[in-house]
Amino acid sequence: MSIAQLSTEQAPPISIPLRFFAAAPLFLLLAALSLATGTGDPFTDTRSPALLAATHCITLGFLTLVMMGAIEQILPVVIGSPMPTHTVRYTLLPMLAGTLALSAGFLLSNPALFNAAWLLLGFAGLVFIGACLFSLARAGAKNPTKIALLLSVISFAATLALGALLARGYAAGLPLDYPKLAASHISLGLGGWVMILIAGVSYQVVPMFQLTPNYPRWVTTGLTPVLFFSLLANIATHWLDAPTLATMSTGVFCAAVLCFALITLRLQTQRRRRVADATLSFFRSAMLSLLCAALLTLAAIYTPLKDYFHILAVVIFVLGFALAVIFGMLYKIVPFLVWFHLFRGGGKKGVPNIKEIIPEVWLWRHLWLHRCTVLAALLASVWPPALWLIIAGLALQGVLLGYALHTGISVYRRTLRRLAT
Amino acid sequence: MTELDVRGLPPPEPFEQIMQVLETLPSAGTLRVLIHREPYPLYEVLYETGYHCLTTALPDGNFSLLIRHVS
Repeated sequence: MSIAQLSTEQAPPISIPLRFFAAAPLFLLLAALSLATGTGDPFTDTRSPALLAATHCITLGFLTLVMMGAIEQILPVVIGSPMPTHTVRYTLLPMLAGTLALSAGFLLSNPALFNAAWLLLGFAGLVFIGACLFSLARAGAKNPTKIALLLSVISFAATLALGALLARGYAAGLPLDYPKLAASHISLGLGGWVMILIAGVSYQVVPMFQLTPNYPRWVTTGLTPVLFFSLLANIATHWLDAPTLATMSTGVFCAAVLCFALITLRLQTQRRRRVADATLSFFRSAMLSLLCAALLTLAAIYTPLKDYFHILAVVIFVLGFALAVIFGMLYKIVPFLVWFHLFRGGGKKGVPNIKEIIPEVWLWRHLWLHRCTVLAALLASVWPPALWLIIAGLALQGVLLGYALHTGISVYRRTLRRLAT
Repeated sequence: MTELDVRGLPPPEPFEQIMQVLETLPSAGTLRVLIHREPYPLYEVLYETGYHCLTTALPDGNFSLLIRHVS
């Protein structure tokens, strides 16, 4: 490959991904506050306003914001096709305002807030998804991450559309089949948007930053389509009476997820440098949680405790898997971006060592805090007072991550000023 | 031809070592780099600093980069 084939402006300005990343930790804190306002046991009352507000703070406010920032960075670097300029201008603020309105709408049961939420989030989603599809369509590169991005963005579009319909329905009291719509919304959001994007990005990030061998070709080409189509088949069973198809599609989806988790863990045992690395440990914790979530989902098919196992699987997937992967990626990518943009701007002299940008000791503290929060989530399923440990864990993780990321951004600004003088 | 093997080094060490060697590369010289990943971020910096890079995927999964000044 010659550089002539690549655009001269591949990487976006550092401010674009960092704006999404820097805003996201606030929503972990808000999730903790939302849970703290609730009454009763969220494991038995999954439709409690506090739980719905907290869940959307985590999935939309934290996970989705970080994933949007990551896509802004990945599209040009991996696919060779940047997002259209100014996408961030029309997406970040509506996403922030829409997520706040939605969470407040749940907590206050306020129709006006639900209406504001679906309009703001719908607008941000339309702009972002349109920009992504445009970039993917014009990209010359063909690789498995491109396919994964496409499938996850389609899942995101469907998740947002169903979410907007639900919010509009709550606001106007429309006669909708809320349980089925909500089940499809959750499946597409977690199984499509989150799972498929993480798998596709892992094909690049795990070998690059953890120095493992590449994922086997049959995994990179086959895994995300299997996840996507088994998910679609499973969602169809929410609306059709087809119990055999429901069992089969759940089985195929969980088998693909187990395969991804086991292969990632195996690759990590084959890494070239066997030194302790907190970001790698975040990934390992994430994969163990993913194994648990898949096994719990399978167990739900064959046991009378179906609802209990389903709830536990979702909790472990979100808190144990998705959050850990995002933490691990942020702690690896933010220092790298800071280092890379400083190096590009001013040469090597005066650019701090990449390991000094966010002190490693904070990463280890965060890792143990995260693991304790996941254990608290497991405990809370049998001992409800442990919910307060989850609340404390989420709040502290939001503060720690926010402080760490803003430290990295401060290092960037300080060094840039020093290099300019 | 100057040779550099950065296989197995974590980011950003390959990038740093390549840029370090390029500082002392004669204007007519060529740097051959063996690396375990295709270094996308490097291409842009090479282009901006006046270098041309030809990348070849090797059968063993590694990559060979031939870097020289744009004449």
